Amino acid sequence: MEKVIEAKSISKSFSGVKVIQDLSFFIRSGEIVGLLGPNGSGKTTTVRLLNGVITADAGHIRVVGLNPFTEGDTLRRRCGVLTESAGLYRELSGEENLLFFAQLYGIKNAVRRVKELLSDFQLTEHKDKKVSIYSTGMLKRLGIARALLHKPQILYLDEPTTGLDPEGARDLLEYIKNLNQKYNVTILLCTHLLKQVQTLCHRFIFIHKGQLLEEGTLQELEDKYLRELSLKVETDLSFHGQSFESYPILKKEPGAVVFRVQNKEAIPLLLRKILKKGPLYSAEICGRDLETLYFKVREAHKHE
Amino acid sequence: MNRDAIQAVALKDMQSISSNIQIWLPLIIVPLIFSIVLPGGLILGLRFWNLDSFGNMGVIVDLLEKLPPGGLRDSILQWDLFEKQVVYFMVNYLFAPLFIIIPLMISSIIAANSFVGEKERRTLESLLFAPVDIKSLFMGKVISAFVPAMVVTFFCALLYGLVVNSTAYPLFKTIIFPRLNWIVMIVWVIPASSLFAIFLNVVISAKVKGFQEAYQLGAMIVLPVLALFFSQLTGVLFLETSLLLWIGAAFFLIDYFMLKVISRAFDRNKLFESQVK
Ligand SMILES: Nc1ncnc2c1ncn2[C@@H]1O[C@H](COP(=O)(O)OP(=O)(O)OP(=O)(O)O)[C@@H](O)[C@H]1O
Ligand SMILES: [Mg+2]
Repeated sequence: MEKVIEAKSISKSFSGVKVIQDLSFFIRSGEIVGLLGPNGSGKTTTVRLLNGVITADAGHIRVVGLNPFTEGDTLRRRCGVLTESAGLYRELSGEENLLFFAQLYGIKNAVRRVKELLSDFQLTEHKDKKVSIYSTGMLKRLGIARALLHKPQILYLDEPTTGLDPEGARDLLEYIKNLNQKYNVTILLCTHLLKQVQTLCHRFIFIHKGQLLEEGTLQELEDKYLRELSLKVETDLSFHGQSFESYPILKKEPGAVVFRVQNKEAIPLLLRKILKKGPLYSAEICGRDLETLYFKVREAHKHE
Repeated sequence: MNRDAIQAVALKDMQSISSNIQIWLPLIIVPLIFSIVLPGGLILGLRFWNLDSFGNMGVIVDLLEKLPPGGLRDSILQWDLFEKQVVYFMVNYLFAPLFIIIPLMISSIIAANSFVGEKERRTLESLLFAPVDIKSLFMGKVISAFVPAMVVTFFCALLYGLVVNSTAYPLFKTIIFPRLNWIVMIVWVIPASSLFAIFLNVVISAKVKGFQEAYQLGAMIVLPVLALFFSQLTGVLFLETSLLLWIGAAFFLIDYFMLKVISRAFDRNKLFESQVK
């Protein structure tokens, strides 16, 4: 698949402090990629570099084949950005905000497009209210509507769900997924809320202190970093000692036990052995969520 | 240049100003004082009370007596009564610099707020993420300060003319305002000097941390104008048509060079790095 974003050994420092260091990555057309890293790791700076609003000190960037620093306006016409602070005018109404940005972006049929987006994001009934009285959720929705005005081919979302309630976050992520499936919009999503994006993103890029730690799909990260699995078994049996039939026991809970297994292939045998002794209600592999993987990646690169 | 974007920015900013009474009310109160209260009050005062009862009038009396020979002296001395001479001098000369202050004040305040206002509202970032060249954003900001300043100034000049002529008519039995020097001032000097103030303030606004700082720096532009006011009072300089033509031309020349420098030096990346957190 075609690479729409390509960054090769980019570096950036602000007044002598290195914020991005020799960072390389790529994003293919139609992908949803999570750019993950702790506070201050350079996520927002990366998005700004990719849009050419700040210049890199070194390295090479191409977005849809364009150089962000020399062809910025052409490139920005094809990219939409939801910034961390939604960047809306508080003294104007929601509709006025969208109409302003529509004119700024030179959108034809602006009135119709604005109406469409207001209704897509359930803001029609709030369109005449000043943005200063919008709730956090309404602000984020209006911010995304703004980013989508010109039907961008690439969408950057900088912490889109921060501050949203679980329902709001779920609706938003659902909308993002839909956008990607229906219109093939490529999406780069910056966040540190790993649980929320685990199933949404096709691929993940971990950065730390402006450097690439790791990248890959959930499966690839699992294969690389999960040397052994934890299996949680729900059963009435009580186990004594530190292991059962040479399977180490990691944890005992009321009505459940967590075993350590070498790989998936070892699981059926263990389950059969337990079943011989008594009832078994459920078994689940745990510790292979994105958060666990993230910490394993961090651990593995600690000494770099 | 991107006309849609220029228009969007200019209209949005003017809408923000007009929708906030705390911003526009002070912007028109001073102009209204300069164009109605001050001239109307002084002319009525001179008509109904004795000239001597005004303490500071002595300065003007001295000044008129010492006028150098020439067109100015003739145009003032055409009036027989001393009251008439004083009123004529004030209306057509003395108040002119105060009128230059009106557009300078309005355009400076709006322009001082232009970029730093976006910064403080945290909207500068989304503005700079738009596919719009920085010159168009700059032009939008310039227009949003220029148009209100000109509209208020023309409106105030109209009011000034009405107030001055109606209050002075019983004394002169003719219309004494405007003379050519005022027309030159309004259509030539005021646009030129306002543009200068706007360019200066927009640049300041793109550099400073906060609005207060921008405003303090920008307010200094009023100082040379006050100097003009006092130079007339002391007889050093009179705002006659020829001088006004020169002043306007000088400002337009400065404007032209400022624009050249700005269009080279105004840079999206620098603005973003220094102003967006
Ligand atoms: N314009 C700037 N001037 C100086 N330093 C900056 C500037 N922009 C970013 N930085 C610094 O660069 C570092 C990375 O910031 P960045 O905002 O990219 O991190 P982030 O990963 O987005 O963090 P967060 O999760 O908190 O949003 C921070 O230490 C920040 O202080
Ligand atoms: Mg950030």
